Amino acid sequence: MNRAPAAAMNAVRRRTFLGLAVGAAFAPGTLVGAAPPGVPRARRRLLQVNGYAINAETPLDALTTYLTPNDLFFVRHHWEPTVPDPKTWTLTVDGEVSTPVKLTVADLERMPRTTVTCVLQCAGNGRALYKPPVPGIQWRYGAVGNARWTGTRVRDLLEKAGLKGSARHLHAFGTDRPPGKVPPFHRSLEIEKALEDAVVAYAMNGEPLAPLHGAPARLVVPGWAGDHWMKWLDRLSAQPIPQTGFYMDVGYRYPRVPAGPGVALKPEEMSPVTELFVKSNITEAPNHARVGSAVTIRGFAFSGAPDIAKVELTDDDGATWREAQLDPERDPFAWRLWSFRWTPKELGRGRLLARATDSRGFVQPREAVWNQSGYLHNGWHEVQIEVTA
Amino acid sequence: MSGPRLLVTAAAALCAGALATALAQSPKPDSEDKRPSLGTRLSSLPPGRGKGIADRACLRCHSADILRQQRLSEKQWTANVTKMIGWGAEVPEDKRAELVAYLARNFGPDNDRFRPVVTRPLGR
Repeated sequence: MNRAPAAAMNAVRRRTFLGLAVGAAFAPGTLVGAAPPGVPRARRRLLQVNGYAINAETPLDALTTYLTPNDLFFVRHHWEPTVPDPKTWTLTVDGEVSTPVKLTVADLERMPRTTVTCVLQCAGNGRALYKPPVPGIQWRYGAVGNARWTGTRVRDLLEKAGLKGSARHLHAFGTDRPPGKVPPFHRSLEIEKALEDAVVAYAMNGEPLAPLHGAPARLVVPGWAGDHWMKWLDRLSAQPIPQTGFYMDVGYRYPRVPAGPGVALKPEEMSPVTELFVKSNITEAPNHARVGSAVTIRGFAFSGAPDIAKVELTDDDGATWREAQLDPERDPFAWRLWSFRWTPKELGRGRLLARATDSRGFVQPREAVWNQSGYLHNGWHEVQIEVTA
Repeated sequence: MSGPRLLVTAAAALCAGALATALAQSPKPDSEDKRPSLGTRLSSLPPGRGKGIADRACLRCHSADILRQQRLSEKQWTANVTKMIGWGAEVPEDKRAELVAYLARNFGPDNDRFRPVVTRPLGR
């Protein structure tokens, strides 16, 4: 596991939560049966679903720590990336501002530093679970992770440039260049969200951001899906209108009203994928158990809301639910680890399903709403345990 | 492995152009060092009528994995081939149907053969 020196970790723990402060870092909580301190060596691997462009997910049994280790964090590229040289890289802030600015890495590091701990999930995580299948990277469960991101608040950058009242959207550009006639990956987000929560991050879990995770800097948008987290970021432009182009007008859109397979929705009948849906996954469960002997089941839960209210499990297909114990370690838009003690009462194959409820009261549904691009899957997660005498 | 080295490795794999080379490596969970590193190109397209067109049209921008993991109907493949031609995939007009048939035959809704490659952690 990548472990930063203690001094560096302490440095990046000087955190501010952009109006969502919950205090200093919590000590790691104690889960039922004691949570593992790190990811065991045998589980330290990635599941590569694409050789190039690189796309790799984290196995669920390696997503057992509050902070996902950098070297086990999922990687999602559209194309072979063009990674900027940090010595010559600059970040331009322009558009509806009084004084456009161009900042180097050193300039950014001299500005007030902030750290946020939150979930990054690819918009398409879980796409492989939709039936009927939809095209795209067939992610199952692991295009998600929770990390501590350190950098400069977008609010500070925009104030430095003199943001004008006419700015309504923040356009984000990276150095990623598509092949052939493929349209560029450009995104924008509402200026309110950018001012409230977004960070230009140059460190991840106390280490410099890795090239494959967007170095020298990437956008971090807590609570929103990865389509807004622009990697190899080199320009932020405040504008009166949203970004246009394929990846805004056609791609990364979710139906406003559910429409089943075979219904061809127009782009205007869909909205950009933004907030994450409430979701929990089971990361650890035994294959076998004995009647009357308790076993421990663990997992994580997160949402586009700042916190998770509860996680529940059922062993009777949703007829009755019992609450899991939430780990006390928490940050706005981060995941909560949870654990659950289950004592089988019957022989045979036990089916356990988990569902989360977020701080807004949104409840994870039994079935995710099918959509033509397979975004934001969040149906109940099931494990099966063979119960013997 | 550092990020730049990884990119060099990926670029080298791309430049090698060994489209038909399948470096089948069995994942060995107990021996992390023997697993392939992230970004290693490991798969090729299955043989059959249309493979040559798919190799030329698709593998310039994608590794074979992206095709091998799909489970799409002929209608969905037709739509995707049209989209990719619009984005620069070179498919002669008289070969378009052959390409769609190849993709639908090999990577249709009942395709359950794809397995991700187990790799080392990033940077190793």
